[in-house]
Amino acid sequence: MNTKPEIESTEWKNKFCGKLVQILSEEGVISSQDELIAYECDALTAYSIKPIFVVLPRSTKQVSEVIKLCNKENIPFVPRGAGTGLSGGALPTEEGIVITLARMNHILEIDIPNQRVVVEPGVVNLWVSDAINRNDYYYAPDPSSQSVCTIGGNVAENSGGVHCIKYGVTTNHILSLEVVLPDGEIVEFGGKTLDHPGYDLVGLFVGSEGLLGIVTKVTLRIIRKPEEIKTFLASFDRIEDAGASVSGITAKGIIPAGMEIMDYLCIQSVNKAVQAGYPENAKAILLVELDGPIDEIEAQMPLVMEVFNENRAKEIRIAKDTEERDLFWKGRKSAFAAMGRVSPDYYVQDGVIPRSKLAEVLGEIKNLSKKYGLRVANVFHAGDGNLHPLILYDSSKEEEAEKTEELAVDILKVCVDVGGSITGEHGVGYDKKKFISLMFDEKDLDTMNLIRCTFDPQGLCNPGKLFPTPRTCVEQGRKSYRVHPVEKAGLGEMY
Amino acid sequence: MSESLNEIIKIVSPNYFLDESPEIEKYSVDGKKPNLVALPNTLEEISEIIKIANRDSLAVVPWGGGTKIKLGNLPNKVDVVLCTNKLNQILEHEESDLVATTQCGISLKEFQKSLREKNQTLPIDPPHLEKGATIGGIIATNDSGPKRLRHGTVHGTMRELILGIKVIRPDGNIVKGGAKVVKSVAGYDLPKLFVGSLGTLGIIIEATFRLYPIPKFSQTYLVNFPRLQTAHETVLSILNSALTPTCLELVNLTLSDSISDKLNLDLKKGEFSLAVRLENVEKAVKSHVSKLRDIYSEKSSGSILLEGNSEERFWNEIREFPWIKTENNRTVCKSSVLITDIPKVLELLEELSRKLGAVIYASVRAGNGILIISIEGETSKLIEATASLRDLVGSLKGTILIQQAPQVLKSQIDVWGEIGSSLNIMKKLKSRFDPNSIMNPGRFVGGI
Ligand SMILES: Cc1cc2nc3c(=O)[nH]c(=O)nc-3n(C[C@H](O)[C@H](O)[C@H](O)COP(=O)(O)OP(=O)(O)OC[C@H]3O[C@@H](n4cnc5c(N)ncnc54)[C@H](O)[C@@H]3O)c2cc1C
Repeated sequence: MNTKPEIESTEWKNKFCGKLVQILSEEGVISSQDELIAYECDALTAYSIKPIFVVLPRSTKQVSEVIKLCNKENIPFVPRGAGTGLSGGALPTEEGIVITLARMNHILEIDIPNQRVVVEPGVVNLWVSDAINRNDYYYAPDPSSQSVCTIGGNVAENSGGVHCIKYGVTTNHILSLEVVLPDGEIVEFGGKTLDHPGYDLVGLFVGSEGLLGIVTKVTLRIIRKPEEIKTFLASFDRIEDAGASVSGITAKGIIPAGMEIMDYLCIQSVNKAVQAGYPENAKAILLVELDGPIDEIEAQMPLVMEVFNENRAKEIRIAKDTEERDLFWKGRKSAFAAMGRVSPDYYVQDGVIPRSKLAEVLGEIKNLSKKYGLRVANVFHAGDGNLHPLILYDSSKEEEAEKTEELAVDILKVCVDVGGSITGEHGVGYDKKKFISLMFDEKDLDTMNLIRCTFDPQGLCNPGKLFPTPRTCVEQGRKSYRVHPVEKAGLGEMY
Repeated sequence: MSESLNEIIKIVSPNYFLDESPEIEKYSVDGKKPNLVALPNTLEEISEIIKIANRDSLAVVPWGGGTKIKLGNLPNKVDVVLCTNKLNQILEHEESDLVATTQCGISLKEFQKSLREKNQTLPIDPPHLEKGATIGGIIATNDSGPKRLRHGTVHGTMRELILGIKVIRPDGNIVKGGAKVVKSVAGYDLPKLFVGSLGTLGIIIEATFRLYPIPKFSQTYLVNFPRLQTAHETVLSILNSALTPTCLELVNLTLSDSISDKLNLDLKKGEFSLAVRLENVEKAVKSHVSKLRDIYSEKSSGSILLEGNSEERFWNEIREFPWIKTENNRTVCKSSVLITDIPKVLELLEELSRKLGAVIYASVRAGNGILIISIEGETSKLIEATASLRDLVGSLKGTILIQQAPQVLKSQIDVWGEIGSSLNIMKKLKSRFDPNSIMNPGRFVGGI
């Protein structure tokens, strides 16, 4: 292993920069302190670290060459898309560089009959659906940040959206990946066709949070638009009734495309921020979207209404056209940003619970909010039990920031205690690495480390994320090492 | 070796067979008899057994229902067959969450039966249902059936339906990944790594799945086409329409004739047939039927409607046709190509059957590009047919997996075919997980 270079020394820095420029030319390297600031953090602004350089490759080959250089010089690197991540996944590492894929942003191929689109990683999520809209196709995973976030970031985080209850998350829509491995080798996982033999490296890579390499090309599955879409907005006096409606709808055998709940505080903020026109006095609203064949929806509509009425819905609106439907969703999709209207700062939590525990968990969150004296606005993907409690605080008050952190953790504990998860879609990243042990014991984490070490034995690719404590790779092999048949036969090698 | 076996016997006694037992024959793997068959009762027992095997480098073959044990290359060695079928309890099924967790030694049939009581299902229909295919075996092979079209194909495979997993690693550690809720991105996606891993990374003990409600009403239209081209055009039109079939199966002449005879369906002889399954509320199915007619009416030479028992029997044939017969001179392949390339493969099959006089049955998941092909004939013909198929599919950038073949043929080829640039990392993964290569050695891709 190389020794750490004196990265403080200007001489080394200039030389390293020169080598990067050789690969990427001047326009592909950012080195001025002013410009580096823009890459200090992702959307989780509480943490920030300035990278030594940022590079903007335009091709897979450039990515590979930069990574090979990093290996030679023992410099860690962090992949970055649009920087909308909420777990500090793209947070730079001390003494490392950031590789931004923003300039690799071409849609390479659209193949409608085979239902595939091939893109570079810097392509923005929404561009894909826009490009195939006229063919009546779309790309299903739709995070609320879809007009900004990149497919590369979506792949790394296995992003969800408001329609994943029916259509699944990113991983269900990715067929192949071109990846530059952490040693610079370019490989292809999966293919345009289904069921590739061998280990499902596509499945393993999606959601690996930028720790297993850099994606440089992605084949997406696209789907045909539904014949009909109906969007309901129902308001309630009690959030529990909204929650019970969610269970009521699935109990009728209906899988809506999406089901979203917002609470009072959230409704207020959204109305102020984007004039969503949600019922002013509602304590909770539930958005339900049905999609599919017209007759199926016509059969489902009265059942949904029945559930609303059983649960004492006050007002029920059905979007009469696309415009109104978009307005219903606009409020939901801008919910995070709207918090700026009611609080100087907010922290987005991302826990998951079994749907059946919704009422119980919301009650717990209310108690915790009282206990810490901090307001919590609730907005969540109710259909899949993915909660986004928004903790409102003022970062200029030191104790509030601390209390926010404690409250955020307590919410996670509640989620795990009822059998849920610490993150449904935002990832573990830097933010939650301490809390992954709430779900996984040492042996589970050790298994994940086997995977990391397979891909990145040097630990240069987005280090310091996901795992609660730094883990080395040699350990494992040494402990029980003996020359095994695979190695003897020249089929594999030890790391 | 006999000492290690004795240690294992102590753990599972009296649930084991030794090589002198007559029972052992049916646990052979591609002709190789194991030295010991162990039927442990608990996961702790399995863990203990694996630790011994790992210490003494015994080759372990996990065994669920044994229905797909022929899948894979010829094994390097077979010491211990480890049966999972005593671990067959459904652990949790919370109806309103549409999620269930089960031990993986349970058969799919039993699992579905229990889910059906709550009007729910794991929307997957792989073969060997009646023969007792287990959940664990289906995960390990990522086996699937015709039902792969729903909701942008989120249905139909273990890959898309699995949420969480518990496994026993080749060092005996019991570990988990994923979660028991429908959405979680905490940690690497261990469940997906194990789907399709053919038991080479560890033993799958428990799994959590997302479930779906059972559709209210189902009908299947069987439409005849004299020409392949028009059948395929119809497929493309259906895929590009607002119709939402759950299965879309294109059946070749030979198979169509044989199913028609067997089930007395009166299909036109010597024609392709396309089976379109619609599952929904009754009204939606009926209105889609008329839209479907508009699409195919001019091109087809006739159609029949299947529902109830006859519908189930038909899909049963489609699922099981390669596995019903036990003849030795047969190769079964699963090929995957782009939807638009399907006709090229079917044309080659017709040509091969003419040229070689081999009998070739084929059924195609026309909306997914997956072909299930069964070729019957002398070994030399099987070898020639397989080689031609591989050439064509390779040139189309598709894949072809030989699921079953006579041992002579298997000894000459890698049943998985070319893996490409990702093989190296797969080998590294294997040696990280299983440095002593005890789990199903030699059977998986690239000699893993
Ligand atoms: C207002 C708002 C709403 C949001 N709503 C949702 C939502 O509904 N659902 C949801 O799931 N998320 C949501 N997010 C989170 C975020 O948008 C997603 O995680 C998104 O996928 C991140 O994409 P990005 O391009 O911004 O990636 P970045 O933030 O730049 O990076 C995210 C991670 O991906 C890695 N990465 C980026 N590109 C690559 C690459 N090419 N190869 C390998 N690794 C790479 C980075 O290292 C990092 O770990 C929201 C965020 C905001 C700010």
